[in-house]
Amino acid sequence: MTSMESGGDGGKWLDAHYDPVAGLYTFSSCVDLADLSGDGENRLVVGDLGTGSSGMKLKVYRGTALMSENTLLDLPAGLVAFFMDLHEPRIPTTAVASGPCIYLYKNLRPYFKFTLPSLEVNTLEQDVWQQAREGQIDPLTLKEMLESIRKKADVPLSVRSLRFLSLETDGLDEFVQLHKQQPIRRQTVITCIDTLKKSTADEDGVSCLVVGTESSDVFILDSKAFIILSKMSLPAPPTMMDVTGQFDVEFRITVACRNGNIYILRRESDKPKYCVELPSHPVGLVRVGKNVLVGCTDESLQGFTQKGKKLWKIVLPAPITTMAPMDLPTRGFQGVLVGLANCEVHLYRDKNLLSTIKTPDVVTSICFGRYGREDGTLIMTTKGGGLMVKILKRTVVFDDRDSAPGPPLAQSIRLNVPKKTKLYVDQTLRERESGVAMHRAFQMDLSRVRLAAAKAYVKALESSLTPMSASLSEPLKMNAVVQGLGPSFKLTLHVQNTAACRPVMNLAISFLYDENLYRIRDPYMRIPLLVPGLIYPVGTFVDCTNDKGITDIIKVFVLHEGRSSPLLTAHINMPVSEGLALS
Amino acid sequence: MGLFDKLVGWLGLKKEVNVLCLGLDNSGKTTIINKLKPSNAQVQDIVPTIGFNIEKFKTSSLSFTVFDMSGQGRYRNLWEHYYKEGQAIIFVIDSADKLRMVVAKEELDTLLNHPDIKHRRIPILFFANKMDVRDALSSVKVSQLLCLDYIKDKPWHICATDALKGEGLQEGVDWLQGTTTDVHDSESVEHRD
Ligand SMILES: Nc1nc2c(ncn2[C@@H]2O[C@H](COP(=O)(O)OP(=O)(O)OP(=O)(O)O)[C@@H](O)[C@H]2O)c(=O)[nH]1
Ligand SMILES: [Mg+2]
Repeated sequence: MTSMESGGDGGKWLDAHYDPVAGLYTFSSCVDLADLSGDGENRLVVGDLGTGSSGMKLKVYRGTALMSENTLLDLPAGLVAFFMDLHEPRIPTTAVASGPCIYLYKNLRPYFKFTLPSLEVNTLEQDVWQQAREGQIDPLTLKEMLESIRKKADVPLSVRSLRFLSLETDGLDEFVQLHKQQPIRRQTVITCIDTLKKSTADEDGVSCLVVGTESSDVFILDSKAFIILSKMSLPAPPTMMDVTGQFDVEFRITVACRNGNIYILRRESDKPKYCVELPSHPVGLVRVGKNVLVGCTDESLQGFTQKGKKLWKIVLPAPITTMAPMDLPTRGFQGVLVGLANCEVHLYRDKNLLSTIKTPDVVTSICFGRYGREDGTLIMTTKGGGLMVKILKRTVVFDDRDSAPGPPLAQSIRLNVPKKTKLYVDQTLRERESGVAMHRAFQMDLSRVRLAAAKAYVKALESSLTPMSASLSEPLKMNAVVQGLGPSFKLTLHVQNTAACRPVMNLAISFLYDENLYRIRDPYMRIPLLVPGLIYPVGTFVDCTNDKGITDIIKVFVLHEGRSSPLLTAHINMPVSEGLALS
Repeated sequence: MGLFDKLVGWLGLKKEVNVLCLGLDNSGKTTIINKLKPSNAQVQDIVPTIGFNIEKFKTSSLSFTVFDMSGQGRYRNLWEHYYKEGQAIIFVIDSADKLRMVVAKEELDTLLNHPDIKHRRIPILFFANKMDVRDALSSVKVSQLLCLDYIKDKPWHICATDALKGEGLQEGVDWLQGTTTDVHDSESVEHRD
């Protein structure tokens, strides 16, 4: 026994027992909890699959100890404990479904065996075996004939014929000799089993058994007389089943089938009422309240209403190994436990993850309920045959947003939004009615703003109002001043290095202008080293060579030696020359 | 025992002590209390306790008032309302219920960490009950599983009992009587300081 706190789930569970070598190999469908002795202490009943070919057993645990064992003849497909009568003391019966039979145990002793009715046998098949028995055909011919029947027939062959067809040639004769005297029978096998209350919803009310078979049928069996009360057909063999309601009143059977669909059967009809087509195969089916939760092979858990309408889907971190409901009526809690291949068991309420239990081995079966005298007991068996028992702490409260990934908590906080005023409502109405016009007006204004901005920009460029260098390595700023009335003007360029601390070297200034109009004394000037922050005036004279009062722009370039593209350009609008040039 | 106690004992005025009887459901609390009562006051049928019962029994020098609490999960939150009044605790464990030993430990830890208990030198008597059951754990094993050795600041004692036959109960009550008297003396010493 270990008494350490279980990690990873915030200490919600107490580790009551762990036996890694219990030798229990089973699935959730073969585990149940019931007060088998009527002393108020629930026992754990397990259909152990052994190695899969031998060692199948019905085991009963009390507390941490194995209490009894019964050998099972065949692999168990499912196990349920239920009340079959009203006799006192109220001791439940255990039903184990295996092959075509249901074995009933009472007081831990075999008590009754029920076999499903055999199926219709193919008459052609019967005829050929008849001929074989009378020695009219040899085994090889028999094989050929059976082969052709198998291909055509709408009634499938019996297991005997199928086994015969799978034999090698040298074994045929012996097989025919061994089996030819026995009549042919075709038996279906049970794939899943559950219980359905007969007429009351009481915890200890008498139940019927509901079995799903490989022949795609669902039978409801009366547990007193063992007669078939109802038979329903499905489009495919059922694999998992959930039953709710009462046979005499109203019931609902949700079945996951081998074709990947889920069908919902109701009391009134012998055909499915609703169908859910899943994108991938179901591996777990659990009903929580009125919703049906389905685990699929694509590592997802999906919620459906009882009419088959999809509610939600979440993606899990690993493939699902098993699923079981977690019902705690004393605390009004309902959830689903999902065993995962990454050695975790997740507890979900709807799509919210409430608790993650880390396990030392992959869990193959889960059962939650009252065990011994403890209501909130979680029993798990592992792939390696281990048995693990955990008990939910009394003080645990499950917070929906515990560790759930998804929308942040803040999203569900209501904001204190003020009441809508008449003005607001009027505005909204107006917006709704003349939305297009408002949008157009806005676009128009936006274009105007852009135009105004562009115009201002162009103007600034044209008047060379403090143009700036775009280069990051030589951040420069320059403005130009033209003085004089003409024909000679003094042109002064103020150059500033705006860098924080780096001086700039090897700069030069040159001009581009109409040589018919102007003459510049120093068309190429070298600029001294520019210390950051200081303004350097660089001056030259411009002579206007024409007298027609024409003006033009002079372009100024600040160049870096050895580089052809200018660092900075400025356009200077020359004023009109008032005087004549002396020639 | 102090002279004063002997005196009240002679005078038939016994000191009153409030005892809380705690433990999981079905551990045998009511059965134990019933056995401690004078034989003419004992009842034959014991049913699971609902809520709690108040019982009284006397020893040579003390008069015990016992709050026999129900151990069922849904009533366990009642326990803490009586911690203040309790002057001693009897904690009963079903030694045969190995599965729920962790639950007993959890409830004990919750009790020890409760603000009304944590800083008091309140004596705790453990009864490892049902020792007659075939594969019941020994009292040593029970005290190990409950980590009783970690209780350093409170006097405690464990005895193995069989409440059906009444075995082991007297030893526990004797201890309780001795300790309760001691604690009261020492507490009154502290008050004088
Ligand atoms: N074998 C055995 N059974 C005992 C012993 N003590 C009590 N029992 C039985 O255990 C059962 C429960 O005893 P109670 O005294 O009702 O237990 P409780 O602790 O008062 O239970 P709650 O009132 O529900 O908290 C009864 O059937 C007793 O007969 C014991 O020492 N040995
Ligand atoms: Mg009681």
